[in-house]
Formats: sequence, structure tokens, C-alpha cells
Amino acid sequence: MPFMGIIPFMSSSKIITLIIALAIGAGLGLVYGWVIAPVEYVDVTPDLLRQDYRIDFVLMTAEAYQSDFDAAAAARRLALLGSDPPASFVTSTIEYASANNFTPDEMRMLQALLTAMQTYQPDVNPAP
Amino acid sequence: MKTFLRNTILHAALALLIGFGLGLVYSWLISPVTYVDATPALLRADFKDQYRIVIAASYSANQDLARARARLNLLGDADPVGALSAQAQRMLANGEPFEKARPLAQLATDLQSGYVSEPFTPTPFPTFSTPEVEVSVTVTGDQPEVSEEATFTPVPTVFFEQTPLLSTPIVQETATPRPTFTPTASPGVPFTLVSQDTLCQPAYSRLLQFMFMDARRIQQPGIEINVTWNEGEDKFFTGFKPDLGNGYADFVMEPGTVYNIRVVTGGAFVADVTAPICTDETGAEYPGGLLLTFQQP
Repeated sequence: MPFMGIIPFMSSSKIITLIIALAIGAGLGLVYGWVIAPVEYVDVTPDLLRQDYRIDFVLMTAEAYQSDFDAAAAARRLALLGSDPPASFVTSTIEYASANNFTPDEMRMLQALLTAMQTYQPDVNPAP
Repeated sequence: MKTFLRNTILHAALALLIGFGLGLVYSWLISPVTYVDATPALLRADFKDQYRIVIAASYSANQDLARARARLNLLGDADPVGALSAQAQRMLANGEPFEKARPLAQLATDLQSGYVSEPFTPTPFPTFSTPEVEVSVTVTGDQPEVSEEATFTPVPTVFFEQTPLLSTPIVQETATPRPTFTPTASPGVPFTLVSQDTLCQPAYSRLLQFMFMDARRIQQPGIEINVTWNEGEDKFFTGFKPDLGNGYADFVMEPGTVYNIRVVTGGAFVADVTAPICTDETGAEYPGGLLLTFQQP
């Protein structure tokens, strides 16, 4: 009996029963913590947004840029989506837009934003 | 034997509980569910503010009210219009320029009214009874002779005859009939105080209300008002409470304090405004409210 030396006052069957109970309890705890009542995030950052929401955010930024031509404001808005260069967000959005039949107007606005972000220099155009 | 069984069950239950606790610790603390596909409703409050700003800026560009409404609904606000208005007011209170808050207020106003209401939309042209002008040109040598005959008909039509090109054409200019336009209000036209009403209802106690309208009695958002008194000054805009009207703004007066009001956008000035004294049913006095109505001529 291997456990007899460790816990001399317990029988092996009892130890096995406890281990099984512990395992079942752990399993139930994991199911409860991961499935039934997972941790709820209520204060997430925009970089955790689902892809279609991120795409729409970039599209909104492009629409706003089409009106105000404020590259600095557009760059600041895109920076909310993460630490990647703003142009990379626009590039991925254009790829998504091409695959999902965005309207020609939307494509044109995204292209204009991409051009602006590729040429935007934060040091030359400091944010107000 | 019975004791042994009872102890075993007790220990097993205890082990089950300990296992459950360990499972929770692992699933909640050590390796919680990682969100990678969050919705905008889960965004932190300051990011929601940024999201609203981008929605409003986008709406200013495309004027697509349905799309803006759908995007705002993603944020899960119980009252999207109220959230927009409140954010615009917070921005102004924090000293941000009105131009930054204006898209939010404009979107709130339009959502409230249900239609796009750009403040500077072109005014439709009126219809006129324009005189019909028939022009005939006869070329005699180097000098063209021009004769005109004007008759008035409801539909304007113009006939031209082909005129040969001349090396040195001499054309006598004639006055072209111009329609007369009905004067309409423009952003630069000053407002004038058209009425000052005392509101003796406890609900309006100490409330100084403003209403701004153009010449067509359409309420005007974005009018900047400056209220000064002995100890201070306040500055605010119309249109930030769209549920009360696009041209509405208000201010809470202190009893006995004299206020001077300057309409920054439009230039009107009203001096010596105080909260009126009203009496309730029991004869007790209380400070009433005022409604100042401004209109462009």
C-alpha cells in the first residue's frame, strides 16, 4: 500500500475516495468558473473589440477624416485600437472591406485614410 | 462500521469542497476566461466616450442618422441621447472648445428629433414669375444691333439666335432681370429679446430659461450665452438638452443676485435680470423663474 507510509491512519481505499472527490470538486469548480460564471470583464479596452467592431471603428474614423482631414485626430483615434502603427489597422480594414463587399465610397474613404496614415508624421504634426 | 462510513463521507465531501475551491481559484484567478471578442458595451467609460466622439464625427460627415443610432446602441447605454448630451456638457465643463462638443450635441439633437438637421443647410429658392426675354441680334457690318422685347410670362424661357463671331465685337450690356429674394435668417444676424416671461411655478423656481429661434421660429442650437454677476460668470450653449428643445438652455439664479446676459453668438445683451418674487397659495414668497425668448429678425 503506497499511501500507508504517508498517511498511516488512512486506508488506501479511503485515500482514493478522497482523491476522486477532490478531482470531482476541482472539475466542478473549473466548470463553474469557466462556463457557468466566468470572470466578467466590464472595463475592456478597444483593442479587445471583436474584429467587426474594430473594422467599423476604423470606418468611422475614415468617415470623420473625410470631413475634417485631421490626420492627427484620425491617428489618435486609431491608436485606441492598439499599439500597432495606425496605417496597419487601416490596411487590415481595407482587406476586410474588399472581402466583404464594402461600398465604393467606403473603400475610397478607407484608401484616403490609409494614405493619410502612411504619410502622417507625429513629430511634424503634433497633437494639439 | 457506521462511524467509519460517516467519516468517509464527511472526508469525501470535504475533499469535494476543497477541489471545488481549487477549481474556482484556478478558473477565476490563475487562468480566467480571456476576452478577445468584446462588444463596445463592455468598453471602459472613457473609451465609450471616445467611441461616442468617433460616432458623432462620422455622423457629421455622412449624415446617416440610422447608422449612427445603430452604432450608439452597441454601447448599451440606457439613454443614448442623454449619454451624448451629458458627455457634451462634461466636455464643455472641462474647458474643451464648443467645436469639439458640437457634433455630440448635434447628434443628440437629431436623434431626439428623428431627422438630420444640419444648422447651415441651403435654403430652398423661392419661385418667381420671371419675365421672358427674347433677344435677337442682327449684324450690320462691324456693329451688331441688339433689340430686346420683354413680355411677362409665368415660365422663364430664353431664346438665342446664333450670332456670327466678330473680330472686334461690340456688345452693349443690358441689365438682366433679377428676382428679389425673401430675406431669411443667417447665422450672423443678431438676436433680439422678443419676450421675457415670469414663471411663477415651484418647478421653475430660480430657473432662468432661454429659447433661441431664427426668423422662421426654428429653434437654434449652439448659441453661446454668457451670464455674468457680481461674483462670477458662466458660459453655456443652447441645444444640450434636446428633450427640451434645440434652442433651449437654462441657468439657476440665486435670489437677489443681478445678472447680465450676453448672447455671444448674435450679440444681444440683457442687463439687470433677477429672479422674480412669486407667492404660493399660502401667501409665502419664493423666487420664481424667467423665460427669455430671443429671435432673429
